[in-house]
Amino acid sequence: MLGGGLSKFAAERPDGTPVDWIIEAAQAALADAGIEPESIEHSIVAYESEIIARQLTMGQVVHDALGLCPRPSVRVEAGGGTGGAALRTAFAYLRAGLCESMLVVGADAMGRQVPSTTVRQVYAMSGDVDFEMAAGGFFTAYYALMMQEHMRRYGTREEQMALVSVKNHRNARFNPMACMPLAVTVDDVMKSPPVAAPYKRLDCAVLADGAAALVLATPRWARERAGAWRDRARVYYIGAGCGTDRMRLGDRPAPYPGLAHFRAKREAATMAYAMAGLTDPRRELDVAEVADPYTGVELQSYEDLGFCRYGESGPLTERGVFDLGGELPTNTSGGLIGQGAPPGAMGLAQAVEIVRQLRGECPPERQVPNARRGLADIHGGTASFSVVSIFERRD
Amino acid sequence: MPPERSRSDGRVGAKLRELTATDPLGRLGPEDPWSAFRRVEIIDLQLDFRFRHSLGKYSRFFLELEHQRLMATRCPRCETVWMPPRPACGNDLAVTEWVELPGRGTLAAATECAYTLTTGGGKTRLTLGYVALEGASTLLLQQIKNYGDARRLVPGARVRVVWADAAVQHPMELFWFELDT
Repeated sequence: MLGGGLSKFAAERPDGTPVDWIIEAAQAALADAGIEPESIEHSIVAYESEIIARQLTMGQVVHDALGLCPRPSVRVEAGGGTGGAALRTAFAYLRAGLCESMLVVGADAMGRQVPSTTVRQVYAMSGDVDFEMAAGGFFTAYYALMMQEHMRRYGTREEQMALVSVKNHRNARFNPMACMPLAVTVDDVMKSPPVAAPYKRLDCAVLADGAAALVLATPRWARERAGAWRDRARVYYIGAGCGTDRMRLGDRPAPYPGLAHFRAKREAATMAYAMAGLTDPRRELDVAEVADPYTGVELQSYEDLGFCRYGESGPLTERGVFDLGGELPTNTSGGLIGQGAPPGAMGLAQAVEIVRQLRGECPPERQVPNARRGLADIHGGTASFSVVSIFERRD
Repeated sequence: MPPERSRSDGRVGAKLRELTATDPLGRLGPEDPWSAFRRVEIIDLQLDFRFRHSLGKYSRFFLELEHQRLMATRCPRCETVWMPPRPACGNDLAVTEWVELPGRGTLAAATECAYTLTTGGGKTRLTLGYVALEGASTLLLQQIKNYGDARRLVPGARVRVVWADAAVQHPMELFWFELDT
């Protein structure tokens, strides 16, 4: 992992378009990697919605804007998991020998250039259109139904979910690129307007404008061509896993995953851990970026990522296990809740955060001391598609 | 999105406004690498879609709703009963067969939503639930109505289908569930 960069994430960025934000992020990533654009052999462009972007073939438009023609490029899309899918695809291209250096960029325009009702209707189309969307279904409701079942099975409480909101908004205060740096309390979260029970406004990530970029290369290419590889701590991508599940929650087998769990995530994590040689992730990882479109999703994810047993995520959160200074600091960037949630960018932004953590380059307020191994977890739909990536610093 | 008040002289019909954007990272003057690109024009664009959408091999489910019948599909190989129906079994890809289900079942989970964005649109409140219909192997998402106190929406509560009398827009609005007390 040679370098990473972000554009500013914001609820609305009238100063630019997704292509503009990708250029900002790519410039930052290339500078971080210590290489010039002409040395990039391949690009991957990640974005979810050409409808919201009003641009078909945006991958080609972006590749052109980055000055990478006539070299090869491919567009990757997997809903909210788009960034993670792009990252894993880059890994595969490099391992397969199709190229030795890769620029991965991702963005989406999720801000207020179109009404939020329109955005949510468009994104509802990433679920079942004919039955569930037609019945009035939308993603906040699907996730709420999952959490209702989690609460029933394990006694998980809304105050425990609220602690995730408090943590992620607080971590975002130390991230200048974040969209929602807030000092909120459990009481603030509990009193915020209801959306879909048990979720309230401050339990939910913010639709945001933004972009992220990463430069990856083979070790041989990095040694010969990249300034960052000579001068900086070296971070390797050591494990990549992917899993899927049925699109409709009601079609998933019971009792596992049932409504309460992410089978795709467990599959992806198992695959990534096996590749990376991890057997006890909570102890072997130092930092993690975990999918948090809603606070309860972060709790559910801890369990399917194997950080704890099923039903333990709420009590461990109360004990501060996942806070900065805790056993496994999670979403130090602020996550989707604090940093913002443009689908094409967020999986890549997670990896940017992990690379910085492992290099020891985060602001001191959110730096995990001597972090050597980190995880990025992102998914699409209600985790009908999931990607887990593991990174390691090797001195 | 309601059009913003135009600050143009009217010569450009789509022009909503122009503004001088600030650097979102707060850099000023020469520190802002994009300082020469901060003058921004916002224009009005509209994109309309109207689909002639086929419900395809799922159509019988929707057509039978007009006759107050809930149709699922059953896999002849693994005997899974899919509700919502699937023309090909999601386990083994065998072609399924239609079966009618009784309109009774139990609630698996429910959520009260402050708004909906699709059926009915706008800020209409609604309650969604996953229902385990008798004879089905899977759960059906549908609206739950007329239940009174939300504390009655407990998993395992008995529910029954209720059919719409009035004309509806989408076939899924032809029915909902109520508590069967």
